[in-house]
Amino acid sequence: MFTFLEDAGFKRVRSTIVPGFAFRKDSTRDAAEAYGVKAVLFTAQRPVQ
Amino acid sequence: MIVAGSVSQDVEAPLESVIKGEVLRMYQEVAQNPQGEFHFYHGRPAAEMLGYAPEWLECAPRAAVASFAGVGNPHVRSRLQPGEVVLDLGSGAGLDSIIAAWQVGGAGAGKVYGVDVNSDMRNKAAANTTAAGLANVQFLDGRMEDIPLPDHAVDVVISNGVINLSFRKRRVLSEVFRVLGPGGRISITDIVSAKPLSQSIVNDPKLWAS
Repeated sequence: MFTFLEDAGFKRVRSTIVPGFAFRKDSTRDAAEAYGVKAVLFTAQRPVQ
Repeated sequence: MIVAGSVSQDVEAPLESVIKGEVLRMYQEVAQNPQGEFHFYHGRPAAEMLGYAPEWLECAPRAAVASFAGVGNPHVRSRLQPGEVVLDLGSGAGLDSIIAAWQVGGAGAGKVYGVDVNSDMRNKAAANTTAAGLANVQFLDGRMEDIPLPDHAVDVVISNGVINLSFRKRRVLSEVFRVLGPGGRISITDIVSAKPLSQSIVNDPKLWAS
């Protein structure tokens, strides 16, 4: 996502993991954990120029 | 929300149309039957879990809260100001649009555009904003890969658990860039994976929709 945002032209790309996010179903949660799946908050800015 | 559609990669699944249909069906179900059980947390419990302010959830129409299906809270970093124009990409039942409209509205006459491909969600969101007494929100029929707004139309783009559903994530982000004015900003919450997903996961419609 970082790369995609930078490639699109965004600057000041920042990310932070969303606290409190979880999958409800055990099997989905286990698969998500195995693949390092997380919810992330991204912020970025379109350059002024 | 899905596991399979990591926003960290542009996946190409051979079952794209099947998967898109399953995702639409799932979110249609959340719109029509919010009291149902789904693979993901939704409604007020999900919003509370993700740190939505209790006063927001008290003041918003119950139907908007009940069909909430986000994965985070884009408002914590959006820094919305009165008078700003906001795009809520994948606006769902409208809770995030309503919260944004409260922040940009008032004397500054800010505006919120919600874009969603699901007509049930758009209708529900429009009814919810009317119930909330908001006149500065407009919901548009459109895909996130082709946002139905002109260049430089908005100051801020928010989105909550939606971009991971697209097969064309680079295209989505270039569209977000296009509709933002110079100096415009984004506050987007979404699902990402640290590792490439197996093809069997990428091809599983049920995982995309869970």
